[in-house]
Amino acid sequence: MATIKDRYAIVGVGESERSKNSGRTPLHLALDAARAALKDAGLEAREIDGFMSYSENDSCTSHQLATYLGARPKYVKDIMGGGSSTEMLIADAIGLIETGQVNTVLIYRAMNGRSGVRMGGGGWDVNMLQGAMDGGSFFIPYGAGGPGQWFGLFATRHMQQTGLTHEHLGHVCVSFYEHAQRNPKAFFYGKPLSMEEYLKTPSLSYPFNKHDFCLESDEANAIIVTSAEKAKDCKSRPVYIMGIEARRTVSHAHYWTNLDEVASDFVAPSLYKKAGVTPQDIQVASIYDCFSWVVLRQLEAYGFAARGEVGDFVASGNLKMGGKLPTNTAGGMLSEGYTHGMNNVLEIVRQIRHEYKGTDRQVENCEIGICTGWSGPDIAGAMILRN
Amino acid sequence: MSYQKPIPLKTQDNQPYWDAADRHELVLQKCETCNSYNHPPGPACSKCGSTELSWESQGSAITGTIYSYVVSYRPFLPGFQDDLPTIIVVVQLDNLKEVKIIGNVLACPPEEVKIGMPVKMTWQDITEDRALPQWIQA
Ligand SMILES: [Zn+2]
Repeated sequence: MATIKDRYAIVGVGESERSKNSGRTPLHLALDAARAALKDAGLEAREIDGFMSYSENDSCTSHQLATYLGARPKYVKDIMGGGSSTEMLIADAIGLIETGQVNTVLIYRAMNGRSGVRMGGGGWDVNMLQGAMDGGSFFIPYGAGGPGQWFGLFATRHMQQTGLTHEHLGHVCVSFYEHAQRNPKAFFYGKPLSMEEYLKTPSLSYPFNKHDFCLESDEANAIIVTSAEKAKDCKSRPVYIMGIEARRTVSHAHYWTNLDEVASDFVAPSLYKKAGVTPQDIQVASIYDCFSWVVLRQLEAYGFAARGEVGDFVASGNLKMGGKLPTNTAGGMLSEGYTHGMNNVLEIVRQIRHEYKGTDRQVENCEIGICTGWSGPDIAGAMILRN
Repeated sequence: MSYQKPIPLKTQDNQPYWDAADRHELVLQKCETCNSYNHPPGPACSKCGSTELSWESQGSAITGTIYSYVVSYRPFLPGFQDDLPTIIVVVQLDNLKEVKIIGNVLACPPEEVKIGMPVKMTWQDITEDRALPQWIQA
């Protein structure tokens, strides 16, 4: 079997406007993002022969997007999914290109995540929730109705076992908010967060306060994947995929039977093996950040700090510009925007291209980066990218 | 006043559990093939896929320790607004450590809850014919 290392690339990235109330349909947002990605790549819509998206039944279809771009693709695919879906769809796209079925694939996530269907919970029909979620009747009647509580159960135990403190969570938030201050498109641009303010913010769902939660936004993002060969014809500087890996572990209802294990623990070893690098080679990161704690747990899983030392790692400023691993340099989902992880993909592509060269947003000389996607303890995906 | 919070939905896969809860008893689904306990219960064993399943009563004197918890200061679901903060726990059963059950610790100040705290199961009668397994400090 052929290795895919360095044989596929992301050649275009683009986004729609970001807001709390777009007043437009996900299809309109998706069209904006797709056109921006096409422009970035220097491709025409008719050159895209595969369209893929993921959603939680809150988006438009790939068929619709292709139609209104005037494209006639060979292949459309829409999956149900959140974080980690970007990586899974990129892997699908590579498989399709590798077997000669398509040449170039556009992958997008479009959502009115604030004005439409909100992930943050509240206002849901409880009987619908109990039925829709596997094993829902074993946690919904107890008030465990939102991701803040589900992830919190993981966080509390992990923090107790490894000595992570509330202040360590705060370092993740403060670092990412600091990045957002250099990104005029970030939601929290102009709204810095100090540790003092973080620590005095009351708990929403202990161990989390509102800063530990990702934000909710209306926006669409798109990326274009093609072969290294075809990438030569594109206008943009390609970002090559060194390795990509995903893993599904336990189902939703069984999340809480083992809080000590997450899917990233399984993804990491084979990802590094495929890419042929070690954590020491990684110079920039986009780490899925639906909650601050999720970043800490992944830093452990992906080998950036040993279990028990992750708190010191972030407290030393390593996630900031100039640190060992500048992470979520546009602000991440905690402070830039939220598209189930895809905005973090756009940012790492731009960093590895050195698109911010000459500004204080550019991570100096970064050649290799990691991007992780994670919708929950059940599923993880990640990729390693290079210039 | 009637009960405002979500009432556990009985389904094809979980009915014996909730029927037992209504009788103030804990029953667990057990896999006859790999001998593991399946909680929450399902249409097949979540460890080996076997459909050779049975239900085993654990009686009504259930003890455990807190495996993890969160304290919710906002009602993410309707009905919880009147008794915030809500302590949501995962309890590891003392006799069957592989089994973890989610619930609330009732009548417990949030600053007292911690991992490893011993608790025992109690049943809250929430309607005329339904009861909800819950936990109190042991
Ligand atoms: Zn079994």
